Amino acid sequence: MIYADYILEVKDLSLDFKSEGDKILNNISFNIRKGEILGLIGNSGCGKSMTALSILGLLPKDARILSGQVVFDKNDLLEKTDRQMREVRGKDIGMIFQEPYTALDPLKTVYKNLEEVLTEHEDLTREVRREMIGKMLERVGFENTGDIMKRYPHELSGGQRQRVLIAGACLLKPKLMIADEPTSSLDTVTSMSILELIKSLCAELRMSVLFISHDLSIVGNFCDRVLVMKKGNIVDSGNAFDLLYNPQNPYTAELLSNSRLDPKQLDLEFNKPSFSSECALKVTDLCAGYTSGNGFRKERKEIIHNLSFKILKGEVVGLIGSSGCGKTTLTRAICGLIRPYSGTVTDTKGKLGVVFQDPIMCLNPAHTVMWHLAEPLRANKIKMSKDELKKAAVDALVSVGLDENILGRHPSQLSGGQRQRVAIAMCLMLNPSLIIADEPLSALDTSSGARILKLLSQINKERGTSILLISHNLRVVRAATTYVLVMDNGNIVEDGPTKNVLSHPKTEVTKKLLLAETTLHMNPDRQQFMTE
Amino acid sequence: MKERVTYILSRVLELVITLLIVSLLTFAAFSIIPGDTASVLLGINASPAQLEALREKLGLNDPLWYRYLSWLKGAFTGDLGDSTAFGKPVAELIVSRLPVTFGLSFLSLILVLVISYPSAVISSGKPGKFWDQFFSVIGHVSFAIPPFVLSLISILVTSKIFGYFGVGKYVEPSKDFFGYVYCLLLPAFCVAVPKIAMAFKFLRASILTEKNNDYVRTSKSRGLSNIKIMFRHILPNSNVSAITALSIILSDLLGGSLIVEQVFNLPGLGRLLLQAIGRRDFPLISGIVFYLAAMMVIVYFLADILMNLCDPRLRKNGGNI
Repeated sequence: MIYADYILEVKDLSLDFKSEGDKILNNISFNIRKGEILGLIGNSGCGKSMTALSILGLLPKDARILSGQVVFDKNDLLEKTDRQMREVRGKDIGMIFQEPYTALDPLKTVYKNLEEVLTEHEDLTREVRREMIGKMLERVGFENTGDIMKRYPHELSGGQRQRVLIAGACLLKPKLMIADEPTSSLDTVTSMSILELIKSLCAELRMSVLFISHDLSIVGNFCDRVLVMKKGNIVDSGNAFDLLYNPQNPYTAELLSNSRLDPKQLDLEFNKPSFSSECALKVTDLCAGYTSGNGFRKERKEIIHNLSFKILKGEVVGLIGSSGCGKTTLTRAICGLIRPYSGTVTDTKGKLGVVFQDPIMCLNPAHTVMWHLAEPLRANKIKMSKDELKKAAVDALVSVGLDENILGRHPSQLSGGQRQRVAIAMCLMLNPSLIIADEPLSALDTSSGARILKLLSQINKERGTSILLISHNLRVVRAATTYVLVMDNGNIVEDGPTKNVLSHPKTEVTKKLLLAETTLHMNPDRQQFMTE
Repeated sequence: MKERVTYILSRVLELVITLLIVSLLTFAAFSIIPGDTASVLLGINASPAQLEALREKLGLNDPLWYRYLSWLKGAFTGDLGDSTAFGKPVAELIVSRLPVTFGLSFLSLILVLVISYPSAVISSGKPGKFWDQFFSVIGHVSFAIPPFVLSLISILVTSKIFGYFGVGKYVEPSKDFFGYVYCLLLPAFCVAVPKIAMAFKFLRASILTEKNNDYVRTSKSRGLSNIKIMFRHILPNSNVSAITALSIILSDLLGGSLIVEQVFNLPGLGRLLLQAIGRRDFPLISGIVFYLAAMMVIVYFLADILMNLCDPRLRKNGGNI
């Protein structure tokens, strides 16, 4: 394709926060051609979201643009007043965000949520608006659009909400769409369909896309060109294919290996359990679910049906399945957070650690790291002297690769990766025989994620702790587990050694997950899988 | 639709159970405390024989459960018994005081809504800036000032300086409706002031929380102005949580305001309760407490229904999130 000219040119853009000295963006320049999909990749905090927000003029109040130009369609956006910018937003530039669960107004129907784009920018009759929204919803993949328009956001799944948001961003056929991590909270299968949708819309509407992500391998076969950002600078750029298969820049190569989670490059080592060793966890005929209703009438919604499996001592087991298959319910039942309807869960000594998906939400913002580390001991009524406690806390911190001096810090003073390490250290305080890690990487960028995975492997090797690793990300499971369970509709449909299951999938679910994964990520195993 | 009906029915059932428990507790409490109606009526010089005769007449010698059940039976047919101190039916006494209490509550609620919403919107527009500080300081002061001080000051200011003649008067609404409103205006303001401060604080906090939500960012990226986002998205969402605070305020108002009624010499429920307690008028006390509990439960019930209408997320699972 020959690109006529640029739709957006960013020239020497610099930005800082009034309260902090460091520059967030340091003289960055790039451009997007008409109809092109440009990927902007980097770890969290590298300034990629700030770049997007400065294009739309939606920077936080504290941010200050020091220099530069943002030329969109021959006009400098930085010189426009807020009123003029409002006309650009939503009409010429559409934007979609990371978290589709909260990005729609919960009190308004899908129709009402989308209608404001039209009422704001165009003078149309109600019938025309309805028709336009209906058509766009149909275009983004909804079948019964009349019904969808009447629904409320909480009645839609994450993928459906992201489709609604994309419909909103594309309603007025913008020239540029900015997509800020649109798939990072969705599962692999849904992510793939969302990316395909964006790509086809881009071709159909002759729209350019600025695609922001921390996952280099995702953008690979989705973008035309890729920029790599590091600490406010663009350190590498080029054709997506070249960057993926022949990365010249060492930082790009590092991001790529973190994203692919190649076990050899990551140097992951695991404890190899013998088959005679005892079970760390044994689940037999488990039925569990949620009970709703009031004191008079109870309704059971069974999610897990007759599920059985076991984890050997020292083993790392993966649990995969698309979202909604019951993974989280299973975790909750194992931990005793919900009471199973029938069946048993037995573990060896009752010591069980859990690491959850979102390290921001699961630490109490009012307390220090020290308080968090003492929490498991308090909960189990284990008495320790102050010195012993401190020593145990420091030991746990050292095992997770953190420094002693963060003991007095509050969660807000830690990065996402550090918080996840604190959560793991909290598990280690009781020296559990099993750690359940529920999507421990999905809230982190690829580099922090790779390091957390490495840490889990170390804990497994050094302490012989069994790990149940729950994920929708097959790369994680492939890299870190020896045995894998595949879940669908509340039951285990396939299990076996990870290598066998992932190279010779037997069930549709596994095949679907694998296909989505290989399409999403340029994977070394891809050729192999395709020929098989 | 079926879900909605079962939801409302189950809430009505809860309402009835709450009222039963409240009535039982009031009855029990006033049976335990020393000194009964008969001794209060006859004074300290009464002979035991006289006391015994009066107790027999008032039914105080019947077993407790019998007295409770007969009172309860009356309560559900609208007959709360006769007041021992006033010699009139309790229900009639309470109803005669309702115009004052309802009028005061209604006027105060209007003042609360009319003042707290705009000030909270202005305050949260630029948190920490001049108007925010301004309203916050006024809020703190009006929350801290004791009602009798406020009442006295406002009487002084309005009657001496502006020549307001409503102080200490009360006109029946059936006789002169505007006169009735006029008399209640100043007391309603005095009742409302601390409630306005409370509603303001609550609304401001909830608007600021909603402002950080992702849907606000979505609307911004679609080109909506801040004012439109405020009215279309932020306010409706903060209303959902504000309804709880407003229902607490309203149920508090409906209980009558002892001090303000006293200062302004208004025949409201608060004063009636005070008189009833002073004279150990048990039927009247239990009648008023029963009324207060009923009001509180009904207001919460209505607030729940209102929240259900406002928030589609509450409509599923019979009202639980």
